[in-house]
Amino acid sequence: MRRICCFLVLAFAIACMATGPAWASDTIKVGVVGPRTGGAAATGKAFEEGIQLATDYVNANGGVLGKKIEIVFEDTAGAPDKAASGFERLATRDKVVMVLGESHSSAALAEIEVANRLKVPFMVVEAWADPITAKNYRYVFRAGPSNSGVVKSTIAQWVAAEKFKKVAIVAENTDWGLGIAELCKTALDAAGVENQSLVTERKSQDHYMELTKIKSFDPDAVLAFVYGTGLHYFVAQAGEVGLTPKAVILDGAGPPSLWPDFWPNVGDYGNLECFVSSMHEKVELTPLATEFRKSYVKAFGKNPTDYKSRSMFDAILIAADAINRAGSVDAEKLVDALEKTELTVTRGTARFGTEKGGPEYHHWMPPMLVIQWQDKEQVVLFPAEGATGKLKR
Amino acid sequence: MFAIASMNGLVIGVIYALTALGVSLVVGIMNVVNFAHGEFYILAGYFSFLFANALGMPIIAAMGLAVALVFVFGLLVEYTLIRPTYGDDMYSLILTFILSIVLQNAYLFIFGPYPNKPPGWIKGATNIFDLFFYGNQRMAALVAGIAVIVVVFAMIKLTWFGRIIRAASQDRGMAELNGVNTTRLNMLSFGLGCALAAAAGVILAPVFPVTPTAGVPVALTAFVVVVLGGMGSMWGCIIGGLILGLVENLGAAYLSTGYKHVFGFVILIMVLAIRPSGLFGRKEA
Repeated sequence: MRRICCFLVLAFAIACMATGPAWASDTIKVGVVGPRTGGAAATGKAFEEGIQLATDYVNANGGVLGKKIEIVFEDTAGAPDKAASGFERLATRDKVVMVLGESHSSAALAEIEVANRLKVPFMVVEAWADPITAKNYRYVFRAGPSNSGVVKSTIAQWVAAEKFKKVAIVAENTDWGLGIAELCKTALDAAGVENQSLVTERKSQDHYMELTKIKSFDPDAVLAFVYGTGLHYFVAQAGEVGLTPKAVILDGAGPPSLWPDFWPNVGDYGNLECFVSSMHEKVELTPLATEFRKSYVKAFGKNPTDYKSRSMFDAILIAADAINRAGSVDAEKLVDALEKTELTVTRGTARFGTEKGGPEYHHWMPPMLVIQWQDKEQVVLFPAEGATGKLKR
Repeated sequence: MFAIASMNGLVIGVIYALTALGVSLVVGIMNVVNFAHGEFYILAGYFSFLFANALGMPIIAAMGLAVALVFVFGLLVEYTLIRPTYGDDMYSLILTFILSIVLQNAYLFIFGPYPNKPPGWIKGATNIFDLFFYGNQRMAALVAGIAVIVVVFAMIKLTWFGRIIRAASQDRGMAELNGVNTTRLNMLSFGLGCALAAAAGVILAPVFPVTPTAGVPVALTAFVVVVLGGMGSMWGCIIGGLILGLVENLGAAYLSTGYKHVFGFVILIMVLAIRPSGLFGRKEA
């Protein structure tokens, strides 16, 4: 009998410890996944900045369910195996009520399987591959760009608006790169634009052969889907082989063109380079965008550059809003609340698609801009209503 | 296409050979596989960036100081980490592997995730016989790389220290019986191997900016070159590096740019299938 009593006390204590953090603490935990190490560690830094500003903002405005929001950041290094195990740790060890983040499509595709299996709401922030939401998983959302969204609403329209006749597409061999290159090719074929596609290795430092092939094609524009430092190598080497400035390069991801070391790494060859971005130093779509910039400058002593800091900021605000509206941390109620989201954040008003059948399901596509570096000034080229100048060749 | 593929293959090949020389030297003399070789390369790149950009030193002085500091760091690593493991190759292998992870994270903590590039020595590109344009900094790296390789070969072939190195790599026991202090030789050889990685790092950092994890592919390629050329063979490094550079570039030019590095591994497998000891490797007794 004594043994049974001891066992019951011990079991009760373990049960209390296991369920404790979600209820006993004065915070509600939300997980974040993203690369803090590896080739895209700069994204992790941008995420950290967004987390700092968002938690301050949410907690200063009442927190969530009367408690403070607490972020637990799990490093994925951009690797699918680490991403899946990191997600599982957040859900099982840290007992987070929701997970946000990720910027590698390959990693996100591994994470959505865990989210679906463990029934933990997951809001992808900056992983663009279509299958992430095209799988139509109930617990998976995306508050950020998708490959098809960026191609349809931005890149294809920009190519048409600039009347490019010959376009080269070069993509790294990742889920993101290959996926968006295929969508671009389909869109260019449909528009009757002559095009050429090339694949490059994600970790390649030397792009001379790719660039020589592109140069012999003699394109007006090059759509480059190469992320991280590789983009810097690509732009600098394109200048060396004489591909630019005759052809215009569009960085199809964006942030690497805004990293602090972009100019030291590419030198004068960076001038007239174009890039896709959801943020511009002078174009602010909502009052919250202005507030974000001011808070950022105050916190970090510089202007925001990598738009992924703002993407993370928005995601945390959307998550906090959903938790408050759900009035609970129950996963089913959170999913229902997320589906009914109507919240103005820095990039516009977030609303998730609810019609199943394609990548638009559970997806909010924020507006994207095409910006060109002109003498180290950012000039918005597209969309026309937000343009601050014209394309220079 | 053939002309630029060959030229680029030559440049990349010399770069590969230079990065592999340090690995080959350490393997040949000490039978230690230094997994942190790429991190020494990156450390020198960071040092030259720091000295030239932050402290405003002339780039040549910054490069020289960077190589010297990495050499000293290499001596310290040998003294503290490698020396206690002599007699068990697996321990040194694991230790250098751990060291590479520690150094990667230290670089991330100290220098941040963004790429860093020391100032280039020469700007722009040159029109090569009206065939193609080629980056001047790359050509300068080619010349500097060849110069370092020539100096290393001259040292190995013509100096007393080089004679000791060759003797120890051929028969360590006999070298000891003839009065060679192999403990000190190990230390100097490991430092020299690190200094060669550093030389490659300072020469290449203006072409390929350094990041905390950029040393991993550098080390991997160096190991491929060493195995291809034959473990411990200096000439094997040169020939192996050039073959790898040319195969990758010609393969990218005429087959596919998406599998550039796969071509190198295919060649490696083919060579090892025919000559398991590599092109210039000695067969095990």
